[in-house]
Amino acid sequence: MHCSKPLPVCHNLGLDLVEEFTSRAREVTATVECVPASSEAIAAAVSRAAPNAKRLAVAEPRDLDPSLFSGCRQLASAFSERTKDALATADVGLTEAFACIASTGSVCVASDGEAAYISLLPRMHIAVARKSDIVARPSDLLRPDVLGGKGLARSFVYVTGPSATADMGPLVRGVHGPHKLHIILVD
Amino acid sequence: MATIAPDSPRAVADKRSKRTLLKAIRMALRVESPAVRHNTQTFNRGRYAAFREIPDYEELKDRARAIKEDAIERLPELLEKLEQSIRARGGHFYLAPTRDDATRYVANVCSAAGARLVVKGKSMTSEEVGINHALAERGIEVAETDLAEFILQVADEQPSHNVAPAMHYSRERITELFHRVFKVDEPLDTGEDLTRFAREKLRQKFLAADAGISGANVIAADGTLMLVESEANIRMTALLPPLHIAIAGVEKVVPSRADLAPFLELLARSFSGQPLTSYTSIISPPLDAPVLGDRKQQREFHLVLIDNGRTKMRQDPLLREALYCIRCSACLNSCANFQAVGGHAFGGEVYCGGIGGSWEAGTGALEKARFAELCTGCSRCVNQCPVRIDIPWLNSGLRERLNKEDAAKPGALLAEIMGSGDDGAAPLQKLFFGRYDVFGKWGSRLAPLSNWMNRLPGARGILEGTVGLDHRRHVAQFASPTLVDAAKGKSGRARSVPVRARAVLFPDIFTNYGAPLRGLATMDVLCAAGVDVEVGEVSPDGRAALSQGLIATATEQARACAKLLLAWIHDGRDVIVVEPSVLAMLRLDWRHFLPQETFEKIRARAYDPGEYVMKVLSGDVTQIRAIFDAARHPKGTNIFYHSHCQQKTIGAATPVEELLRAAGFDVATSLVECCGMAGSFGYKKEYYELSMAVGEDLFAQVRAAESDGERILVASGTSCLEQLQAGLGRPTVHTMELLAGTLAR
Repeated sequence: MHCSKPLPVCHNLGLDLVEEFTSRAREVTATVECVPASSEAIAAAVSRAAPNAKRLAVAEPRDLDPSLFSGCRQLASAFSERTKDALATADVGLTEAFACIASTGSVCVASDGEAAYISLLPRMHIAVARKSDIVARPSDLLRPDVLGGKGLARSFVYVTGPSATADMGPLVRGVHGPHKLHIILVD
Repeated sequence: MATIAPDSPRAVADKRSKRTLLKAIRMALRVESPAVRHNTQTFNRGRYAAFREIPDYEELKDRARAIKEDAIERLPELLEKLEQSIRARGGHFYLAPTRDDATRYVANVCSAAGARLVVKGKSMTSEEVGINHALAERGIEVAETDLAEFILQVADEQPSHNVAPAMHYSRERITELFHRVFKVDEPLDTGEDLTRFAREKLRQKFLAADAGISGANVIAADGTLMLVESEANIRMTALLPPLHIAIAGVEKVVPSRADLAPFLELLARSFSGQPLTSYTSIISPPLDAPVLGDRKQQREFHLVLIDNGRTKMRQDPLLREALYCIRCSACLNSCANFQAVGGHAFGGEVYCGGIGGSWEAGTGALEKARFAELCTGCSRCVNQCPVRIDIPWLNSGLRERLNKEDAAKPGALLAEIMGSGDDGAAPLQKLFFGRYDVFGKWGSRLAPLSNWMNRLPGARGILEGTVGLDHRRHVAQFASPTLVDAAKGKSGRARSVPVRARAVLFPDIFTNYGAPLRGLATMDVLCAAGVDVEVGEVSPDGRAALSQGLIATATEQARACAKLLLAWIHDGRDVIVVEPSVLAMLRLDWRHFLPQETFEKIRARAYDPGEYVMKVLSGDVTQIRAIFDAARHPKGTNIFYHSHCQQKTIGAATPVEELLRAAGFDVATSLVECCGMAGSFGYKKEYYELSMAVGEDLFAQVRAAESDGERILVASGTSCLEQLQAGLGRPTVHTMELLAGTLAR
């Protein structure tokens, strides 16, 4: 049946992936910073993005080298308690994103494991992703030949900016989920 | 159930009686219209902008349509596969035949888990089956966590929109509601204040909830759910409590996760124009995440799929189309009537808008689809639907079925005379507006007597009383001679050497009986552009009949008319149609009545006269200006051009605008989807106020464009011209008469 064929990759979007991703993410009020792929650089970037954070939850990465988050785990604000209340009152949750989408400015985060909570409950979500994991459009992730078919195999969420609503009249950013999204791109 | 306040939208939700429908329209125009208008029009503009950026929009729609057609065709097989997938992952699967089965199952699961508090994400299907009520009866508290659903729960109202169910509430009305219900002192005067207030209330619920109930936007038979949202309440609902129940209609199933691809690209854009909303979850529950606070506790997941009439819909060629719907709301947001009143008037107890009638008929009862009357057939939703459902066609079909039930006793004799085949039993009003071909013919033959009778004191009162023709509406005079008669002895020779093209001017019934001068002006314009033109024979095309749900009549008329047109086409002539609604009939609606090959043959050769002039002159501005020089027009060169709704849908509006600009006119155009008259809709007494309310958007745009001076009011559709004149109190000019006024004498 023709239906299960993946959508063709859309070549004529004509995008410089990093540039397009960055500008799209900013359109939905996410902030984006590019840093070298080192534990120190990431920890410094997290501190810059959330200078007043008192409580930081760090999720164990699955795809990135786990040592990249070791600097963050050593920050004074990092804590390891994993209860609803502890996470719901955290300032910042740090997770990896296994993919990014250029045309929408989205980061893709696992919906299972502790990343599911840590990307959801704290006031601010910081996602760390590799530049090489940026793909052109959302549907690319549902192809077996893109990023090793991860998008077909796992439970995940396309996160596009912070949580938002227009239900109370004007557009408001920051509802039940994070009020801020910061994205750290590493080489 | 608690008693319903008489002024609550719930009191007018069930529209089996037309009186309730009319009451709902009045309520919506009085209370809800400003917020609905603002919100739908914002989403509508967003959608147009978003799809201009997508290079493969049409391909994506084809693909989405193909996936849905295939999935509904193979539904039993896919449901079996889905059940196996869910069970293999340790989840539970239940296929509920009726709404009672569904609510009983969900309530039992919640009771068995000892749940006392359930958090719920927005789900139209759960509205359909009435989950909240069933849980409340067991003493289980339900907290709606989508902020719009939260508002509705506080106000005890039904949704007014599929995606933004409280869009009929302005910020001011929400403030007033919260102050009244919660009796709080804190200021709630901004969107931020209100959001913070609701967030704090609901966060406590999330952290304490024993179970979460969500819907699902699309479900793949491999066990994947696609959940689309912006607030993160659905992510919380599916993750925080140990028990997650997802409820959806069986039609949401597609074969595999890869098949979600076109829906990912289309769904959010079709709704609001956002490439993606804040969160689109692609999950295969039960989730592999520890239950916070109790790591040993097992996660429990139930997928509850609802039939509730869908199997019957699948076997009904008309309603089967509705099963392809992905509830994106593009048809609601692009609908002029919906923009004016929203889903509390243009909707039933659960489902609303153009597609809503089919859903209420399929999952409830045919009579509950009465609000589908508000679909004027303007067709603006047709190109907006990501799965290519011809919603006006569905509504014509519903109207046909309702007509049979409504067969008007007082008009039965006339009905018998005028009806054709299966349409014999339609109510009198439907026959009056649906058989303009008969009235037009006799009216013209008897003119001026017929026009004089029409002006007799009391005549309009009688028309209003019998067929519901509103007395405030201007009614076009029956013309004598008709276009066909007037064209006899008039040369249709091209005024160019060599002749650029040969065409037949099809005398549609509206132009022939109502506006022959417009037809003669069209001949002049075509001849001037180098077209050899003859006037054909009059033949009803089926538009008027189709708009009233007289499908048997429309079919007969379309077939007879097509035969006539094919003869001209075989003679090497293109077909020119002055009235856009008739042209749209040929190019869009006839696909339902004719063999595909015949339909395509006519579609490829049928043109709007302005569009045709652009084509034969290859859009050459110098040539156009030489022939049609706006500077020669006695009334000036500043115009306001309003294109007809169906003309826009078939792509015949832009070429006409380009032609007018090429001729040297300074053209201001409207951005409205439809003028509100929509063929016969605005002539009906019961819809006059709504029609004028819709028109107000157009009138306001004209006034804005005229801040620096009056413009000539130009339109291509008969009813648009009437509406502009009614709203602005000034004469209007048809496009062809305008262009005829630019010709060198």
